[in-house]
Amino acid sequence: MEYNLEVINLVKNYQDFRLNKINIKLPKGKILGLIGENGSGKTTTIKSILNLMAYDKGNIKIFGKDSKNLTKKEREQIGVVLDDSFFSPILNVNDINKLMKHFYNNWNEKLYYDTIKKFKIPCNKPLKEFSSGMKMKIKVLCAISHEPKLLILDEPTNGLDPIFRYEIIELFNKFVSNGENSILMTTHITSDLEHLADEIIFIDAGKIILDIPKKEIDNEYGIVELLEENFSKINKEDYLKCLKYKNEHYLLVNSKLEFQKKYPELAIRKPTLEEVMLLLVKGD
Amino acid sequence: MNTIKGLLLKDLYVFRNFKGNIIFSIFMFIFLIIIGSIERDIFTISSILFLFFFGMNSISSFSYDENALSDKYLLSLPISRKEIVFSKYLFVFLDSLISILGGILISFIITILVRGKMDNIGESLRICIIAFTSVSFLMCANVPCIYKWGVEKGRMQSVIIPALFIFLIGIFGSLLLLLFPQLYLNVNLLYLFKISPYICLVLNILFYTVSYLISYKIFLKKSI
Repeated sequence: MEYNLEVINLVKNYQDFRLNKINIKLPKGKILGLIGENGSGKTTTIKSILNLMAYDKGNIKIFGKDSKNLTKKEREQIGVVLDDSFFSPILNVNDINKLMKHFYNNWNEKLYYDTIKKFKIPCNKPLKEFSSGMKMKIKVLCAISHEPKLLILDEPTNGLDPIFRYEIIELFNKFVSNGENSILMTTHITSDLEHLADEIIFIDAGKIILDIPKKEIDNEYGIVELLEENFSKINKEDYLKCLKYKNEHYLLVNSKLEFQKKYPELAIRKPTLEEVMLLLVKGD
Repeated sequence: MNTIKGLLLKDLYVFRNFKGNIIFSIFMFIFLIIIGSIERDIFTISSILFLFFFGMNSISSFSYDENALSDKYLLSLPISRKEIVFSKYLFVFLDSLISILGGILISFIITILVRGKMDNIGESLRICIIAFTSVSFLMCANVPCIYKWGVEKGRMQSVIIPALFIFLIGIFGSLLLLLFPQLYLNVNLLYLFKISPYICLVLNILFYTVSYLISYKIFLKKSI
């Protein structure tokens, strides 16, 4: 299998935090969702991939090559959306186009303006007058308008309304449909990944605690909601995690069929990524 | 080179934000130079004031970048740290250069129009070059402080460090004269003033090179 991105045993030590042996493999044509609560290490991983900071151990390969040795041309094949940084807010859409033309040899002005038109973004208004959702639209446009092969997106759906989130998810699906392009995406809005991600990596306190194909979560994982009296009948080894909320116990099981066989009287439903994340972090 | 052009353009767009203020200030300057020139030749002082007023505005581009965390975004594009630092220095230099040239041109035209002649143009231009070098010194001391501590946090250091340099140079000069008093008699100040453009050229190259290398080293190690 060919990979657009490989992170191998990435380690970064801070005084009070350690990013511990992070491994990510992003094949061509796939979307990988990196999820985790705030401060779990998602942004540190992204920053390391983008060489925005030095890491202590490990290796990062982009298009099969050490990320530190990429040529300008190879770096042009990467599109990036960062949640907290962009151009100065006094710039407008036309200014950004002029700048990007200088930064990318393969900047597709037509694609940029066509999508600007489609998203109804005013061209002469400075960024500071846009809503955060509108600004995010422009960031996403900048990331895709040079037709990259790899998109690295840090919270790209932050601040977006449901309609645009849908539009952008469509855009990302179309982006990977050629089988060559890939997306690495961090988000805390896990619902966006439900219909988008092929693979989910869940980071908690600097460690990967779940690395699984999304299909496997859909097919194997389940949630069982139980009242106190029913919960006492369940063996501890039959579920992965349990969380008590109000009077109910929520169980996360990773082998739906086996659980169903053993407890045919109990209803089991498909979990959302948010539930998986919550139970893995907060569950016992 | 295309990337550097783009980075310069980005900083230039910052100036567009206070285009109105710049135009108003230029007209105010022109008005004041006209008034001042009626009484006497103020070519030198007006050119230098023009330089100090407009030639240090480039610092604001750091502030805009810092607020938008632009460096982080730029480094995620196919732009190197070297290009970012180099473009900043180029911008700072061009801002000072255009300001002194603009100041000289405006002052010259007004002086000729109002007074009909100009006294000691060579001497005035030499003083302008020395003033330009002083601004270069201040800016070159400022920029590494900004890279190290940021525009806000580095404000105090940006004042202290150049002041400290000037103080140390003063102390060194005084000590030198104290130890070797004959130097005072041997140094031909008039000759030094005559060759000052060459000395300034060397100093400008030295300031910008050393400052650029320090800033680049700081920025290279910085986690963005």
